[in-house]
Amino acid sequence: MSEKNSLVRVEHLVKKFPVSAGLFKTSKSFIHAVDDISFEIGYGSSLGLVGESGCGKTTTGKLLTRLYDPTSGLIEINDPKVGQVDLATLKGQDLKEFRGRVQIIFQDPYESLNPRRTIFDTVAEPLVVQGMGNITQREEQVSTLLETVGLTPASSFLFRYPHELSGGQRQRVAIARALVVNPSFVVADEPTSMLDVSIRIGVMQLMMELANKMGVSYLYITHDLAVARYMCQRIAVMYIGKIIEKAPTEELLANPLHPYTQALISAVPVPDPEFQRQAIPIKGGVSAPIDPPDQCRFYNRCPFADDFCRDNPHPPLEDKGDGHFVACYKV
Amino acid sequence: MQATSVQPNIKIPLWRVRLRLAWKSFKANWKLFVHNPIGVIGLVIILIFALMALSHPILMKYVWEPRVYDPVIGYDMEIFVHPSPPSAQHLLGTDPLGRDIFSQLLYGTRFSFILGISSALISVIINTTIGAVSAYYGGVVDMIFMRLADVVTMLPFIAILVVLSALWEFTGFTLALVYGLLVGFGGNSIVIKSQALSIKVKPYIESARASGGGDWHIIVTHMLPNLLPLSFLFMMFTVTNAVFAEAALSFFGLLNIRMSWGIMINTAQAAGYLLAGSEYLYLLLPAGLAITLLCSAFYMVGRALDEIVNPRLRER
Amino acid sequence: MTEQMLQVKDLTMHYKTSKGEVSAVNNVSFVVEKGQSLGLVGESGCGKTSIAFSLLRLLPDNAEIKGGDIILDGDNITEMDKKELLKVRWKGISMVFQAAMNALNPIFTVGEQIVEAIQVHNQEINVAEATVSVAELFTLVGLDPKLMDRYPHEFSGGMRQRAVIAMALACHPKLIIADEPTTALDVIVQDRILSQLKEIQQRLDMSMIYISHDIAVIAEVSDQIGVMYAGRMAELAKSNEIFKRPIHPYTYALMGAFPSIKGPKKSLTTLPGEPPDLLNPPSGCRFHPRCPRATVQCRQEVPPFIEHNPEHFAACWHPMEVENE
Repeated sequence: MSEKNSLVRVEHLVKKFPVSAGLFKTSKSFIHAVDDISFEIGYGSSLGLVGESGCGKTTTGKLLTRLYDPTSGLIEINDPKVGQVDLATLKGQDLKEFRGRVQIIFQDPYESLNPRRTIFDTVAEPLVVQGMGNITQREEQVSTLLETVGLTPASSFLFRYPHELSGGQRQRVAIARALVVNPSFVVADEPTSMLDVSIRIGVMQLMMELANKMGVSYLYITHDLAVARYMCQRIAVMYIGKIIEKAPTEELLANPLHPYTQALISAVPVPDPEFQRQAIPIKGGVSAPIDPPDQCRFYNRCPFADDFCRDNPHPPLEDKGDGHFVACYKV
Repeated sequence: MQATSVQPNIKIPLWRVRLRLAWKSFKANWKLFVHNPIGVIGLVIILIFALMALSHPILMKYVWEPRVYDPVIGYDMEIFVHPSPPSAQHLLGTDPLGRDIFSQLLYGTRFSFILGISSALISVIINTTIGAVSAYYGGVVDMIFMRLADVVTMLPFIAILVVLSALWEFTGFTLALVYGLLVGFGGNSIVIKSQALSIKVKPYIESARASGGGDWHIIVTHMLPNLLPLSFLFMMFTVTNAVFAEAALSFFGLLNIRMSWGIMINTAQAAGYLLAGSEYLYLLLPAGLAITLLCSAFYMVGRALDEIVNPRLRER
Repeated sequence: MTEQMLQVKDLTMHYKTSKGEVSAVNNVSFVVEKGQSLGLVGESGCGKTSIAFSLLRLLPDNAEIKGGDIILDGDNITEMDKKELLKVRWKGISMVFQAAMNALNPIFTVGEQIVEAIQVHNQEINVAEATVSVAELFTLVGLDPKLMDRYPHEFSGGMRQRAVIAMALACHPKLIIADEPTTALDVIVQDRILSQLKEIQQRLDMSMIYISHDIAVIAEVSDQIGVMYAGRMAELAKSNEIFKRPIHPYTYALMGAFPSIKGPKKSLTTLPGEPPDLLNPPSGCRFHPRCPRATVQCRQEVPPFIEHNPEHFAACWHPMEVENE
């Protein structure tokens, strides 16, 4: 994947949160939520960001939409409409314009819509804020989009309130809102995990359809490897702020190289009563990344770790061929 | 982007639709409100008092003779002994200074409404703004407002009112201004701020920011509408407190006001009729009952509103 | 022939709300044998948690058991009064509630809370004896007994879940209901908790009812699976059997709705529509608005819950004949 072909190119992205030390003292301790990660997302393709809670995947998603400001690093966007920009350093009016190119869908369909605003107002908001179109044009655009996401007839949904809709319908509204300004890139933070199982597939398929139809790429954040497999062409696995493995989806699932990825895959329950799943045991739990020591983040729990792993800094991502990268000294 | 665009088929202009929606939502809330008999009783009482307040200027202009029935300077010379008990010309009697009590009662109603509602509005505008801004910006702004709230809460507001009273005479509105300012910057803003904080972390606020919404847009479009029910609730209780505070202070003769319910009781007390026996109850009961009823009425409406406003009922 | 620990016959339970009566559970029947586990799977609103509360007779005031029998180890607990129920609850049946980790009281130590649970149900036991029991329970669920004196906020999510499981085991019940025991937990922790639960179940020869919306979890831990839809049981059979030969179209659709990381990437089945509102459930078979095989009969008549294959029950007018590998 050459650099020129990427819609999004993230390099050495870092986000540190100060652990509050008081009102007038500067912090000495930091939470390394996102600790030097790099990845790319191609045009019309989706990257799955997988990991357990606290690994930094949600923070990454928010960094890519500038809901958090990065501590350091590059977020390069090669938008066909507006050209090449480093989202990490944009300010003011430029930043506002670029907000229209990257949107986000949240996990909770009940909390991501303002309960006091109609569906029309909610979906039209990005248009209003970006100053696109007059009232008639906005009405038309919103109606068209509602129909596209499966809320038909649009006229019966336009002036309803969120509490009159079901969870699946609300999530479709959220998708419509994300797409109304025709972004090139959407961050989806666990959009289906709070939906009923029978609704999930519909929403996931809708997102894939829209990706094709509207040429949108996704950063699909999830803790569920199976869902990531279904939705994404590539998967990156995060652990305590670092990407420890990334590869094309099928390659990663068939041939996981990092011990953590192997453990993760082995822990996923399989809907087949006759399948004897052998979980790879790893001890301990995930620790909060406060001032982590400069060694492999997985050292404490890794079944293969040795003194070399302890004495050296966190391993860099190495190319093992076929677009498969791993950060491990033992591979 | 899409092959066929959908004409929304909206022949009705947007403002009409919004009006219709607002009416629908008002009706739905009304239904919830009337479920609670306490709220309805409170509302009825308020309406009766409102009618009383409105009737005073009309009566003064068309029915009563100002020389006799003016609540402050009127004097009935046909009656020899003042205070006089209720009679045909004076429905509730006259006070020790010869003024018609019923007229005073109606005038006092007007005064209390102006005082109550003005102070409620002023305090609510202030503390909602402070709450929203503090919650949204956090940091230094938040600290300043919260410390200000602490200081204002500690201020001896009775003493302040008394001192100001010595400087000028309060009208309903000016008293409301002072009271509203004192309450507005005080403790209620902390409660509203905490509600605002819980709104600030909701994903729809992040969505608005991700779309490019600025601070002003978010505060006005998203936070304020979600805070207004709580503010409205506080308004009801502020009316109660303002009216009662004025009545208590006037009774003690600490406020320089021309006429109010508190002044009525103060007049009776100053002339020595407070504990003078049951034949002089007509001097105390009208004002006392009015204060009690109006304050309770607003409180009851507030309680009934509480059940509508309470987030549990608002979601899903 | 293993003995029956729990027998539920035609259980029906309704909630009264301001908007009307919600038929949360309708004519549900199943049997759990001693030492066996039953998995109840279904989406939100299907009634699985309502069944659990009905079994424990822990229903809110506006809920009422309208009919049916619940027979625990030979005793019919449906008609029991409060006093008798106190003997049954926690000692006969206990429950690990959904989001149980938030159910621990933050101002008491974990050990104190479990001691309290033991003493409430066994007045004769003093604190010292109860503490010894708690230490044993901790070891059983995989927690270090020294952690007894810590507060809930010092425990991680997984540890809290184990603590709650220990509390459910405190009085050595014959049957435990685990309502979404691992929903809020990460995959690796979930795996450990599930294997711990299975181990405990086997060691104590205890019966279990697992409730989950995740069919993969249910498949791994249950001997028997009951599929719930809109307050009714759609299908009930042994796990292997139900996966090999699903009869009810909903079961079939549900199984196809879970993406898997094993095997070839298959296309997933979409189910149109939404789970129904139980205030106004559809007539006849409640699944008919979404069922690809529905006919007029399905709309008009409620299909009976009968044995289609040996020990394999389903409620459907047009059962599927599918054979999975």
